[in-house]
Amino acid sequence: MKRALLFCAALSAAPLIYAAEPDVAGLVKSCNNCHGVDGVSVGQSMPSIGGLSETYLLNIMTQWKTGERFSAVMGRLLKGYTDLEIAALATHFSKQPWQPVSQTLDAKLVAQGKDAIERCSSCHGDTGVPDEDDTPRLTGQWAQYMELELLKYRDEALKMPHKKMRTNGKKLDAADVAAVAAHYASQKK
Amino acid sequence: MSINRRNFIKSLAAAGSASLLTIPTTARAAGKGKVVVIGGGFGGSTAAKYIKMMDPAIEVTLIEANKTYTSCPLSNEVLSGHRDIASLQTGYAGAVKRGINVIHDHVASVDAAKKTVTTSGGQTLGYDALVMAPGIAFDYEAVAGYSKEASKLIPHAYKAGEQTLLLKAQLEAMPDGGLFIISVPPKPFRCPPGPYERAAQVASYMKHHGKAKSKVLILDANDSFSKKGLFEQGWKALYPGMIEWVSGANDGKVERVDAAAKMCFTGLNDHKADVINLIPPHRAGKIAQQTGLTNAQGWCEVVPMTMESTVHKDIYPIGDCCIAGELPVYDMPKSAHMAITQAKVAAGAIVAKLNGLANPQPWYVNTCFSTLAPDYGISVVHVYRVTNNQFVYVKEAGGISPIDAPPLQRKLEAEYCVGWFNNVMADAFA
Repeated sequence: MKRALLFCAALSAAPLIYAAEPDVAGLVKSCNNCHGVDGVSVGQSMPSIGGLSETYLLNIMTQWKTGERFSAVMGRLLKGYTDLEIAALATHFSKQPWQPVSQTLDAKLVAQGKDAIERCSSCHGDTGVPDEDDTPRLTGQWAQYMELELLKYRDEALKMPHKKMRTNGKKLDAADVAAVAAHYASQKK
Repeated sequence: MSINRRNFIKSLAAAGSASLLTIPTTARAAGKGKVVVIGGGFGGSTAAKYIKMMDPAIEVTLIEANKTYTSCPLSNEVLSGHRDIASLQTGYAGAVKRGINVIHDHVASVDAAKKTVTTSGGQTLGYDALVMAPGIAFDYEAVAGYSKEASKLIPHAYKAGEQTLLLKAQLEAMPDGGLFIISVPPKPFRCPPGPYERAAQVASYMKHHGKAKSKVLILDANDSFSKKGLFEQGWKALYPGMIEWVSGANDGKVERVDAAAKMCFTGLNDHKADVINLIPPHRAGKIAQQTGLTNAQGWCEVVPMTMESTVHKDIYPIGDCCIAGELPVYDMPKSAHMAITQAKVAAGAIVAKLNGLANPQPWYVNTCFSTLAPDYGISVVHVYRVTNNQFVYVKEAGGISPIDAPPLQRKLEAEYCVGWFNNVMADAFA
């Protein structure tokens, strides 16, 4: 009985809570076009986004929208949405389960990467599970996507605001870029 | 044997989603409604899938003539040899697995009053909602001397598959120093940047296969084109002197062809070519015209909130057959990405209606990548919102890749194009 009452209370409160929330159910589906259903990408250059932290997703989308961070495409999309809508998207995708993708990787490259992650692991962990909410999870993310992200941090021509990523990304040996990406891509949990 | 929750989930996973849809037949036959989808391209396939995903109790039938679908997006890369046509092809097993009834046939007629669809094979299906996604039909007669028959000699290659391979074979057979003409029809046509990307992919083939003295001549019925500045910059950087564009105002409009003699005739000039790629003007697919859904220009107009036809209730024209957007300037491009987002709006509206729920907020977005070389991609983005039941093009958003972008952006966009392709193929067909 007590549970039933609580349930009713929650229901009646719902319209108040959600009144200001934008209806992004349809917008979420348009993200699927590039990032896969439930944010699990099947394209090697496109990141999976389902299960990334809300803080990270909100930060990066806001930086793209304002132009604080370089983006090839995302900024042009996000300028079409309000901050509330973007926040709702971040919340939605953060609630999806993280699903490492299965991908073909060169075992030698993975092994090379394992020995080269010292610049990465202090924030991203040994297996890609970060300590902090503002750091993206890399476990089983697409290797090609991560490699391209590293190229962005290593290119002075692009506006990439994260100082620590800039420094470490650039200090990484060129031959290790694909290797560290392969290492994190190979992780399962 | 006891089935605990974990094993139950495992067995479901092993059996795939089909088991979920085939077991409770009685539950789903409870009269939730019937949807027929005409056309199994990006738009139609996505609509069928999302309706089934949102409400498995709705009966969905997809009618598509072909058993194999060949994607038009990225098919220009078949011409350059950077991509095999098989990588663009898929079947309808994904739809069947989801419990969608797939019928491989043509549609003979639609009765909008009785709400029925009749196939060429004589099957008549009733519907509560009809998704009309037949794509485009070519207006062969608009160019004198051209016809479906003539397209075997001078291919359009604007419906991918056999035509793409035919054009590729002609490109391979042409001599070094030869002329390859691309004739572009008046707007609107599907894939607005398509002909100009094609010019780059054809030039790429010439450059890398001993035909570097050859030329691509684009005879255009229009005076400008999608991503013009970006294309011209890319052509110059990658294929200097190989691609020439002639605007409509500058006698670019092809009025007549002689397929056997490989001649194109514009108002003032005769062009003798080695290969002619003639893209004829488009209209909405024949069945959309026949159903009376099209306007004077040959396109289906739609209600922005739902994608429902402005002519017939309960018919939803999506994809290349429709004309939508903030007209006349900011029309929605006829692209796979646009078709997929329109399909999702129509699916949401249909599911809501059949369940007696309020129509969900519609969202429209487009991304078109063009690949000029394996490490050289450019794009255009469109964001539309619906305000007071009108399409509004969001000017603060969207637009083309910057003209002064660093080389890495061009590489990223070429790579993102492939990632985009893999995801849209899965989104529509898996």
